[in-house]
Formats: sequence, C-alpha cells, structure tokens
Amino acid sequence: MEIEVTVNGVVRGVEVRPHETLLALLRDRLGLRGAKNGCSEGECGACTVLLDGAPIDACIYPAAACAGRSVTTVEGLAPPDGELTALQRAFVDSGAVQCGFCTPGLLMTLHALLAERAAPSEAEVRRAIVGNICRCTGYAHVVDAVAQAVGARR
Amino acid sequence: MMAPVAEFRSACSTEEAVTWLAELGADGCVLAGGTDVMMQYARHELGPAAFVHIEGIEELAGVGRDGVVRIGALVTHRRLAEDAALRTSNPALADAAATVGGWQTQSVGTLGGNLCNGSPAADSAPPLLVADATVELQSRAGIRRVPLEEFFLGRRRVDRRPEELLTAVEVEPLGSRQAEVYLKVGRRGAMVVAVVGLAARLSFDARGAIAAARVALCSAAPTPLRVRSVEQALVGLDAALPGWQDATSPSLRDGIDALMHAVSPIGDLRSSEAYRRAVLPGLLARAIEICRARAGVGVPEG
Repeated sequence: MEIEVTVNGVVRGVEVRPHETLLALLRDRLGLRGAKNGCSEGECGACTVLLDGAPIDACIYPAAACAGRSVTTVEGLAPPDGELTALQRAFVDSGAVQCGFCTPGLLMTLHALLAERAAPSEAEVRRAIVGNICRCTGYAHVVDAVAQAVGARR
Repeated sequence: MMAPVAEFRSACSTEEAVTWLAELGADGCVLAGGTDVMMQYARHELGPAAFVHIEGIEELAGVGRDGVVRIGALVTHRRLAEDAALRTSNPALADAAATVGGWQTQSVGTLGGNLCNGSPAADSAPPLLVADATVELQSRAGIRRVPLEEFFLGRRRVDRRPEELLTAVEVEPLGSRQAEVYLKVGRRGAMVVAVVGLAARLSFDARGAIAAARVALCSAAPTPLRVRSVEQALVGLDAALPGWQDATSPSLRDGIDALMHAVSPIGDLRSSEAYRRAVLPGLLARAIEICRARAGVGVPEG
C-alpha cells in the first residue's frame, strides 16, 4: 500500500507492506540508519524515533500506521547546516557516547523530554530513559549531558 | 511458516472497524499501538490475514465523566499516567500505567490493548478491578457490556468475539474516605513484567478501621483476579491498633489465609511459585499502610 509520511520534515510517498515495521522502512528503504535494531522486541530502545513528537520503538511499530503522520529520526535533529543541537553537543562534550549503539535512541527520548520540560530533574531524566538500555552502562554521563544541555540553553 | 499478513486497513470510525471485523471474522486482528500485537506477529504467535488498525479512531481516545469515569479504549498508558484528573479519580490506574514498559511503550500502548491481550500480568487489570470496571464491546449487532471480572476467561483468553471491538472501560472514581494503591513486584523498578501485582481500594470508617475493601491481583493466577474472600476478611481491620501486622492480628491473618487460598501462581522465568507466594502477605500489609496514609487515616489531628 502507498502511504505518505513526513520524515524529518520532508513528505515522502512510500510503498509499504502490511507487516513492515517503521524501523525496516527507515533503515532498509529510506537509508536512515541512525535508529538501530537492538532487540527487535521493544525492550532496548535503540530504535527510538519520535512519532508526532512522542518517543516510540520503531522496531515494533507498523510502518503503515505512520500514514499522514510525522516521524523524526536522529538524522533530523541537527539542522541542514550540520550544527549539533545543544543536547548532541553536550553528549559529545560529556563523554556520553561510549560504543554509541544506544546513542541515537537516547537522544530521541531525551529530545522528547526536553520538549516537554525545559529543566527536568535528575529523577525525571532517569525515569524518561528507562526504556533505553546502554550496554556500556554509561548512564551517569548521559544524565550529566542533559544537565549540561539544560544549562547551555539558559 | 505462516503466510505474511496480506492487508492493513486503517479504520476512521468505530462503525468502519466493526464492519471490517464482521467481514474478516477470525482472519482479522485489531491493531492499535502494536506493542503486543507486532511483537507476537514477529514471533509467529499470530497470523492474521488482515490488520484492522484503529489508532486513528478519535472517538475512542477520549475520557468522559458522568458519575463513572469512561476511558476510551485508545487512551494510552502515558495519558493514564500523566493526566491530572485521572490521577485524582483513579490513582492506582495511573500508578500501574506508569510501570508499563518504558516511555516508548507508554506512548502508543493503549488501555484496550492491555486488556484484550489477556496477559495474566496485565498491570492495568488490578486497578481496574478494584474500581469495579465494566468493558464495553461493540459489534454490528450492538453494544455488549461485560464486567471486567468476567472478561478474563483464562490465560490469553478474553470474552471478546472476533467481530467485537473493545471501545471503552467504565470505572468508579475514588469516593470520599477511600484510598487506593497499585504495588508491583519486579526485578527492576522499571521495564519489567510483574512478578506479582496487587491493587487495593479501601474505604475507612470515621474511626479509621476498614469499612470496605477491594483487592485484586495480577501474575498470581491464570488471569488477573479480584479476591473477594480477602476483601471480606479485611473489613473491620483497625490498623491503628498496635501489632496489626502480626500473625496474631485476627483480621490480617484471615486476610492472608484467604489470599493464599485464592491464588495459584506459577513458577516461570520471572520468578518461582514459592517467591510469588512469599511476597504476597507483605504486599497486602503494605497496601493497607499506604492506603491509610493516602486517606489521611490515623494522622493525629491538630
């Protein structure tokens, strides 16, 4: 079936299969490989993207259900001139990236959090990312990065 | 190997969805946020000919109040957890919704889906059971209303016919001198399926003794269940009396005995049967303490 979906601000017409996941559509056919396939079961959050602004696991969300909706991936965070967002810059500066596999998913969830709350508490940050697993266990630097990004935006 | 699902239909209205469900019968599969269905599909646990996608049906996404609280089937866990009015009227449901998976699951996972999935571990079930929930099922033949207690038939089996769509859940809001809580035991504080879950809604008399009780469980039997024998045993319990939690305290001991008779937990990869049994008495006592505190019972006046 043919659907129209807005991906990172650009309306795309794509042919999707009834069982296709959003993650398969993004990675295999639109060439957006930022969202990662970790567990394929909605447990690890490596595939997190925003659907109409809300974080979802793209690995278990049907592509066909995205018709008429807006999807944002990590590729869509920084503007076309390539300047990183405050959160991305803070991830780099705080050493919040270790192996990097969970990073795109964490960035998406945390961007959603910062869109809702200008200055979340540490507890709110930790609660927001319970669905994003970092196998390097580098959560402390991630939490630091959010605090730094919040500070930088002030 | 099952054939891949051949069709994806997005319904714009309840009427359209139930028309398709009637046409498809057992070949149709209702799909909302997909957090259970898509995973089960990937694991080849279900092989429908068509998905009937209902996420776009706006009339199923609302919350109404008219004595009872009417929650549309498409209300997400995130909304249940965050909505200030729902948190006031049904706080245990909000607590439970906040423990369903991570934010990603809560963004799109729905109340209707959590119930229709028929998991013995459904977090939303115990808080709904203590709120005397009724589910509303719609088909081309009309509307059927089923008490939630009777909706759960067995493990992964619910009283929904293939041509029916669960459209709403109606619950009682908390009354005066009432309090409720949902307690969930898991290996982590987040992202876990309940080892056991317990919801209690307690009414207190003017002295602070339990005047009426509702208690419900998940992950303690093949279905979520309300434990009326426990409820009866708790009536009259005065948690202001010293030592009420001891085995010598008649009311609590009777309540715990009733609880142990009512449950039939299994051992699985999440926990052993013995552990599930071992944590339940303490969970019941803690629920009573929390409800007393939330209702402001036993707090010295002045």
